[in-house]
Amino acid sequence: MSIVSEKSQISSAEDLANTLDSINGVSSSVDKRSSGTQIRPVVKLMVSPESWRGVAESLYSDYGVDYCSMITGIHWPDSKDKNWEIIYHFLRTGVKNPPHSEGVVQPIITNNSELTGSDVPLEIEVIIHLGDTRNPSVASIQDIWVGADWNEKETWDLVGIDFEGHIGMRRVLQPHETPKGYHPLQKQHKLRYHNFQEMYDDAQGFKRKTVDSERVK
Amino acid sequence: MAEDGQNYTMFSSRMLIDTVGDTTDAALQASGLRDIIGVLAGRIFNWGQRKSLFPLHLGIKCCALEMAAAGASRFDAERFGVFFRSSPRQCDVLLVNGPISKKFADPIVRLWEQMPEPKWCIAMGECAISGGPYFQSYNVLEGVDTVIPVDVYIPGCPPRPEALIDGFGKLREKIIRIGAVPSHSRTDSIAPIILGDEQ
Amino acid sequence: MAEMWISMGPQHPMTHGLWTLKVKVDGETVVDTEPDLGYIHRGVEKICESRDFTQITTYCDRLCYASANTWSHAYIYAAEDLLGVEVPERAEYIRLVAVELQRLASHLMWLGAYGPDIGNLSVMVWCLREREMMMDLLQELGGSRMHYNFPRVGGVKRDLPHGFAMRARHKLSLFLDRIQEYESLFDESTIFLIRSQGVGYAKPEEMINHGVSGPNLRAGGVNHDIRTSHPYSVYSELDWTPAVERSSIKGADCYDRYRIRVEEMRQSASLVLQALDKMPGGAETYHEPGDAKILAKAPSRAPEGTSGSHHFEDSRGESMFYIAGGGEGRGKMPYRVSIRSPMFITIPYASKCMIGYKVADIPAIMGSFDPCIGETDR
Repeated sequence: MSIVSEKSQISSAEDLANTLDSINGVSSSVDKRSSGTQIRPVVKLMVSPESWRGVAESLYSDYGVDYCSMITGIHWPDSKDKNWEIIYHFLRTGVKNPPHSEGVVQPIITNNSELTGSDVPLEIEVIIHLGDTRNPSVASIQDIWVGADWNEKETWDLVGIDFEGHIGMRRVLQPHETPKGYHPLQKQHKLRYHNFQEMYDDAQGFKRKTVDSERVK
Repeated sequence: MAEDGQNYTMFSSRMLIDTVGDTTDAALQASGLRDIIGVLAGRIFNWGQRKSLFPLHLGIKCCALEMAAAGASRFDAERFGVFFRSSPRQCDVLLVNGPISKKFADPIVRLWEQMPEPKWCIAMGECAISGGPYFQSYNVLEGVDTVIPVDVYIPGCPPRPEALIDGFGKLREKIIRIGAVPSHSRTDSIAPIILGDEQ
Repeated sequence: MAEMWISMGPQHPMTHGLWTLKVKVDGETVVDTEPDLGYIHRGVEKICESRDFTQITTYCDRLCYASANTWSHAYIYAAEDLLGVEVPERAEYIRLVAVELQRLASHLMWLGAYGPDIGNLSVMVWCLREREMMMDLLQELGGSRMHYNFPRVGGVKRDLPHGFAMRARHKLSLFLDRIQEYESLFDESTIFLIRSQGVGYAKPEEMINHGVSGPNLRAGGVNHDIRTSHPYSVYSELDWTPAVERSSIKGADCYDRYRIRVEEMRQSASLVLQALDKMPGGAETYHEPGDAKILAKAPSRAPEGTSGSHHFEDSRGESMFYIAGGGEGRGKMPYRVSIRSPMFITIPYASKCMIGYKVADIPAIMGSFDPCIGETDR
């Protein structure tokens, strides 16, 4: 049975967090989340936007973080300490190409319960805060992890956060003809029928208004 | 009559067809056979149209899996003459089974226009009827009937395959009633059929 | 020779779902590809910002409609991380039964759609017949054929029905007999072997850099599985190992991706049977909905500043939810729900895998990666 051992995963997470804390512009911690039978440690890094590119390159080359999972952009118009937040999720998987001998590939079957140190799979969360700006922008990591490519396109498409150095930025989920500057997940855009009263004349919702003012035809 | 560059012979096929057609038409009209043939042909075509509805092989969202299950062996829509075709030029029915986003509004209208008359449209599932759970979305049209005339509505999220087959049955009854009226001139007096709405 | 762009889609019998694959061909060879997604983009992430935590479960079922339970459970684990809820053990076992049955049904749907891509039409009706068996079991659990809304924050909505364990064991043993027929239908067919072996090579290191995970990755000969690397639920209590395929030197081809899904189907069946045996309290006891053994009390508000995330082994890869609390209704609704879809990242990679092969290999390669456009477009 090859489930990762909780102790070695927690200690590996704490090692990584301590090592990364020494980098300029990074403050790291280990978040212990519970899910089912084991505790799940997540290495949480708060990175300043100027040092993000350097940190990303060193994560890839020195610390073996090889998988970019998700990039989330959040618009906080009312928050005091941040206006835009970008959250990256990475995994350190330790996946290598399986070796082959005499023309036959030997699949790599790791026994996860025996992994220790920097072989243990880990989850890394990177949070970047941006101040009040009309053109939020962060360095792109498209060339380090190709998995970030479409994630960045989607973040720009829906939230409006630009990625410097990203080649081939385009609308990827909305139609290509969407007007420039329209990013629906920003908080000033409301949903259709956001207020219940827009749709109905009475509180229970039986008498529909005759003219639906925001109907898309 | 004949212009420069055209075939000079009087028996060019276009003129021959027109002449023969006109004389036959006049003869049938005179003998009263024309009406009988018209009614018979209309009935035969109507029988053929409603017994062999070929929907388009279009799977938009979840209702497409129920459409596939309806075509599979447990529910078997094919015994009712329903056979999915991949090209819109060969189809009778456009089975819309998912929400229409702004990006897909143009292609679905083009698919509808590519289908030859007589054609019908079935809106399957809540998303096609009114936008469904996504009626508030910035990218979803509130129902496919904002862009295409719909004949039968099948509610459900997703409707069971039996409901889809019943929807085809209701469409058959509608075809008996209205015949081959072209799709753009089916007025609201022929009320749209909503499954489950019978008394 | 002149090169030209061909557009496959959005309405196309090969693309499983609604998307366009623009292919640049030089004669019959594929030179470049460009996928075009977004035809069913519903803006689920925006809609979820004005829905309760319980109401969002209905949207997550509809994200990937072929594999609905895995998505609603992925969301529920993230919501429980955000709200800080401890789930009772029996509920975890019931969730595992639902998730693995759903994974089985999803792989059967894939196999039923992959056969016609290659040209084998009879396997589609066979696999859909098996899928109907699994959907009957899931209908008993969840109430409807496709979108179940099965998990609740803190547990599950209802216990296993009376006699469910007996019916599940019977149907799964039937399935395990029949899967051998389907394997032989494919493995003994020369046409299938020619069309799927040697096309669409993909190497694990490249796949990891591109963000591909799940069965597509394990077909390359590495056993990276979220259920063992970052364990959640009660997978650590059962006796199983992730399925791995021995690929060829150039990487995993379509045949390996087919074989690994068949292995995963067998493994899901055995996981369900083990979970039914090991369930605390026994699989035959029935608790009323809302009983503390299957549903824990959960707070319904998440204040601003909190966040929860969870990643989950979906039938197609690693899916992830990130929920930021503090939205409308003084925290009753999330501020932002962010969804990671494995197929959104795999489809551009699969499009790259096609370069160099013939046009006739496009359905084989695309189908073997198991695209499901519902989760891609969110």
